[in-house]
Amino acid sequence: MNRVVNVMKMQLVNRQTYIGMPLIILSGAFLLTVFVVVLIPTDELKFAGGAAAAPLWYFLVVGVQALTLSFPFSQAMSITRRDFHLGTLLTAVITAGVLAVIYLAISLIESATGGWGVNGYFTVPGLSDNQLAIAPLSYFVIAMLMFLSGYGSAAVFKRWGALVLTIILTGLAILLTLALLLSVRSGTWDVMVNWATAQGMLGMTLWGLLLAAVLAAGSYLLVRRVQL
Amino acid sequence: MTSVIEVSHLTKRFRDTVALDDVTFALEGDTIYGLLGRNGAGKTTLMSIVTAQSFATTGKVSVFGEAPYENARVLNRVCFVRDDQAYPSSATALHAFRIARLCFPNWDQALADRLVTDFRLPLKTNIKKLSRGQRSAVGAIIGVASRAEVTFFDEPYLGLDAVARQAFYDRLLEDYAEHPRTIVLSSHLIDEVANILERVIVLDNGRVIMNDAADDLRNRAVVITGDSAAVAAFTAGREVIHRQNLGNVTAVTVLGGMSPQDRAALAANNLEVSPVTLQQLVVRTTQDAPRSTAAA
Repeated sequence: MNRVVNVMKMQLVNRQTYIGMPLIILSGAFLLTVFVVVLIPTDELKFAGGAAAAPLWYFLVVGVQALTLSFPFSQAMSITRRDFHLGTLLTAVITAGVLAVIYLAISLIESATGGWGVNGYFTVPGLSDNQLAIAPLSYFVIAMLMFLSGYGSAAVFKRWGALVLTIILTGLAILLTLALLLSVRSGTWDVMVNWATAQGMLGMTLWGLLLAAVLAAGSYLLVRRVQL
Repeated sequence: MTSVIEVSHLTKRFRDTVALDDVTFALEGDTIYGLLGRNGAGKTTLMSIVTAQSFATTGKVSVFGEAPYENARVLNRVCFVRDDQAYPSSATALHAFRIARLCFPNWDQALADRLVTDFRLPLKTNIKKLSRGQRSAVGAIIGVASRAEVTFFDEPYLGLDAVARQAFYDRLLEDYAEHPRTIVLSSHLIDEVANILERVIVLDNGRVIMNDAADDLRNRAVVITGDSAAVAAFTAGREVIHRQNLGNVTAVTVLGGMSPQDRAALAANNLEVSPVTLQQLVVRTTQDAPRSTAAA
């Protein structure tokens, strides 16, 4: 366990990567949103849409760099692959958790002040109390999925090369599009939408968590076999 | 003395090239080894596999009597920073040393600080923005200050100026005298490291072609220079590894020591005999071998 903590310290020695940058991106997107919604001269609902997603994209980059840069360095530091994997994922969990808590705080303020008094929202507006509590969890899960997508893709790249990564990503895109096409044609689209609606926000978030666990386990198998 | 590393019948194939070809050797504790050979001879690959950063195609590696792969007990006592080492994004040398301090139980911060001064290394610059020599210095400092029981240096002098290289050799030897350990210096600047090496392993085309005490190698070959006919007569029947003609003067590198009778014959025939440096010996024995490729 001590060695896993060392990996977390390693990831956090340069505070910019896991703490500084996500906070700068989040607060930047947040401040811009507030300025803009205050500027818009209408009392109608103003929702910033994807602004809150800005730091999530950064997680994709951090995931890639964790494998392409931090992993080779951890090998030079004589850290086992297992300890590196656990420590790195735990670091991502903590950072995503901190972001989710900030997101929660902002959403609470926004619902208490009626969108800063001008009906303008950075977080998703119009949620029930229940959903208000689930939204940060969804935010956390999406951040982890982004991180693991970057980490896993980089692991495939390091393990099998650019060609295999491209084939896998293209293959996934084709499969998803094909599935979409088939479900629309066969009329099962409505069934799927109904299913997703029935799952609700919490259900879908938990499915996302399951996907994250699968990605985490799969990338561990790859990290064990990456050669430098 | 007991071996700290044992490598047996190690082979590593990359698609159509054989990087290591049935390599077998053992490293003893508390000794400075030179791992010498040309570019692409397999030096980095070998160190990479011994430290479990890469895997062998076939063969076995044992470090402190155990397999190193995913073995924290073993890896803890080993340090290998490669010459093209990657560092975490936007990491500075200060960050790298802080992490090394966490990871290596014998890390000596005072020694690291002294080396930073010797190398005039900027601590707060992004490592990616450092010069080649300064990046080498980061790796060399981690290697020396980690004080790992087995430390591999992968061409640690790349891009370092002469003053910094001398400082590196001096500090390494000073610290080695106080804290003996096994050091493997991979190098192709052979003359420069020759004096500090106790044993020499030469890799060529993925094979071990020499594994001897450095002192033995220094007496292994001589150059005989003089009149071509007299040189030819003297060297007949001896193992010649290199021959150079200039007019009617010939210089021939022969293996084997010179007996008193040989010395007398040389003097009688007006032939000059001079020792062969380790570098010349390695160059002469590795320069003509063709690249090997795996059979399809």
